[in-house]
Amino acid sequence: MISHPYRLRRRSLLTGASAAAVLAAAAACGDDGPAGTADDPIEISFEWWGDETRADLTNQVITLFQEKNEGIKVTANFADFPTYWEGMAGRMASRDLPDVFQMDYSRLRQFGGAGMLLPLEGVVKTDDFREGFLETAKLDGQLIAVPAAGNTLGLIYRSDWFEANGVAAPAPGYSWDQYSADIATLTPALGEGKWGGGDWAGQYHFMELWLRQQGGSFYTEDGKALNFTQEQLAEWWTTTADLYAAGNVPPVETTIEWTEGGLVQDVLASEIGWDNFMPGFSPTVEANGGTLALAAPPSLDPSNLGLYLKPSMQLVISAATEQAEAAAKFVDFFLGDPEALAILGTNRGIPATNVGLENAEIDQYAQAVLDYEASVSQYLTTPPPAPPAATGAIEVKFGEIYQQVQYAAMSPAEAAALLFTEAETLLAAEQ
Amino acid sequence: MTIPSTAAPPAAHEAGALAAQAKQRKRGGRRRPAISRRGELLTGYTFMTPWIIGSLVFTLGPMLWSLYLSFTDYHLILGGDFIGLDNYTAMFADPMFSRAVKVTLLYVVLAVPLKLLASLAVAMLLTQKRRGIGFYRAAFYMPSLIAMSVGMALVWKALFAADGPQDQFMSLFGWEGGGFIGNPDVSILMLVLLSVWTFGAPMVIFMAGLLQVPGELYEAAEVDGAGKWHRFVHITIPMLSPVIFFNVLMETVHAFQMFGPAFIIGGTAGGPAWSTLFYTVRIYALAFVDLRMGYASAWAWMLVLAVGVVTLIMFRAAKNLVYYAGEDNK
Repeated sequence: MISHPYRLRRRSLLTGASAAAVLAAAAACGDDGPAGTADDPIEISFEWWGDETRADLTNQVITLFQEKNEGIKVTANFADFPTYWEGMAGRMASRDLPDVFQMDYSRLRQFGGAGMLLPLEGVVKTDDFREGFLETAKLDGQLIAVPAAGNTLGLIYRSDWFEANGVAAPAPGYSWDQYSADIATLTPALGEGKWGGGDWAGQYHFMELWLRQQGGSFYTEDGKALNFTQEQLAEWWTTTADLYAAGNVPPVETTIEWTEGGLVQDVLASEIGWDNFMPGFSPTVEANGGTLALAAPPSLDPSNLGLYLKPSMQLVISAATEQAEAAAKFVDFFLGDPEALAILGTNRGIPATNVGLENAEIDQYAQAVLDYEASVSQYLTTPPPAPPAATGAIEVKFGEIYQQVQYAAMSPAEAAALLFTEAETLLAAEQ
Repeated sequence: MTIPSTAAPPAAHEAGALAAQAKQRKRGGRRRPAISRRGELLTGYTFMTPWIIGSLVFTLGPMLWSLYLSFTDYHLILGGDFIGLDNYTAMFADPMFSRAVKVTLLYVVLAVPLKLLASLAVAMLLTQKRRGIGFYRAAFYMPSLIAMSVGMALVWKALFAADGPQDQFMSLFGWEGGGFIGNPDVSILMLVLLSVWTFGAPMVIFMAGLLQVPGELYEAAEVDGAGKWHRFVHITIPMLSPVIFFNVLMETVHAFQMFGPAFIIGGTAGGPAWSTLFYTVRIYALAFVDLRMGYASAWAWMLVLAVGVVTLIMFRAAKNLVYYAGEDNK
């Protein structure tokens, strides 16, 4: 072959060019030095569940954090609760969790037990949390989360409708039977398309409350089994049967289409729920001409309301993070910066830190929650240990199977048997 | 779809090479050495490399991995061990399995024939020579472009809500069942309707088939005094049978895999009351809510097996039912 002078020249030219490119790239890497400057920031990711309102507030805080910490860039993402956890499950399997993310007590063991969360003792500040909050951030004695805010169960009710219809305001120790009777009074009085209360039987948290009122618990201490009998579950699922049959609580055909709660839709007079939801509902209810109030949930035993202070959400750091320091800085900022806390307010619940409590604007609604929590403080008992990893799935199943009872496709006893089969399979899967 | 289209260029390349060889031979030149032919093959495969790697890494690899997982009790987080056929035997004791199978079969049995009838009827209308036929063809195809999207499922959800258009309309005729969304007895129908409405793909294939039927056959039959119905039954259907078979096959396989709209409308729980708990929705819930990846994989492979068996049965049945012109159909 005759060598072509031009080609040769081109080849050497290309070699030279690529060598130059490699050198330039290496040089760029060399320039890096200690990362985390304004031009070349450290990147961390932060994800949470919630709605648009929460996203707006959170993004403001992220912007503020980036202004105050020039070398760190936070990429943010959020989704609604079920979608969030479906996504996280997959990402946990592929070891692709965000650096910092919002955690729920019911999922703490699932993630923490698998070693996915960074132990936080000495990594983040822990000196300013309100009393009792850090207990639920530990898994088997090790701190792996920090609470952002706390809540407890309560009865959120329309005080205006209760009063107008001659129903006495619920006081601590108020019985389930009394609550049922009140609903039965309210529903007909409110007229077509409105109900005195919601069907509470499909929520596993409310059954847990009911079990605690009898001195029991949902899971055994070691978290490996359900701590109640099929008969108890069938009984729980019949606690609303009369109300349901009489049309005093909204039928499943109606609630299945609800994309927001009955209180804000101006169709429910009361609902058992987390107390920190009340400030979120109140403005809408007031726009509808009503007023919301908080009371203790009904109980089987006036001296034992079954309540405990639960973290409404926690922040955790992924064990796989490469930027633990920046992540910890962000967590500290989120829970401890006065300006940030003023922006976040009580959107995630009553802040878990003292500095949060001082700086968050406590409007009348948040004040009502604080007053409520103070009023039941004598009833708050030790929280249950972090539930088993399968809790998320069991929670979903609990509602799904109860729906069968509502549609009368299964008797409470049949449904209870099915839940036991399913829950046992799920619990066994994690042994 | 991408693999055949990328396979085309090397094939053309080879045809070109053959032509060149033939030319050389004509001129009395010596045959090109085999080595250069191999070189061309290599070029061809090199061009295909991205797709070959893609299908190995993103399709075949995960499939084999899931086959392996189906013999384990793999938990999405905790991992798992080999447990042999336990997942497959557990399935038959699982009350959710029979539910999911029932819902899926009901859907297949309802949606496939209805969709094919609708697409054949419209295809026959649209193969007539009319003014503006192009517009109608486009208009009828349109739903298929958007229907399986999230947006359309959401629109469907609104249409079939309580006091929504469907409820209001049917109430005029004394319907008291409310919106389909909240009524487990009829909720599956709304998904069947969504599927029927998206008949574009089989319609286009039917149209192509209809246009292939030789006109002489109809003319001859008309001369013999066959009416419209007779011509349809004795000419159109037999001549179209390979196309019908193809469409039945494709639509059945698709129907077994129904997921998106059901997932958006009914959620992972297949609401209301498990009436839209499609097999694939259950697989999703097992994998991503219950985190039982091993068991979910076994479900998935059971579906592969079932669809395979159904397809096989169809091919067997087709031997006697499908007429291929130009073949000696005994």
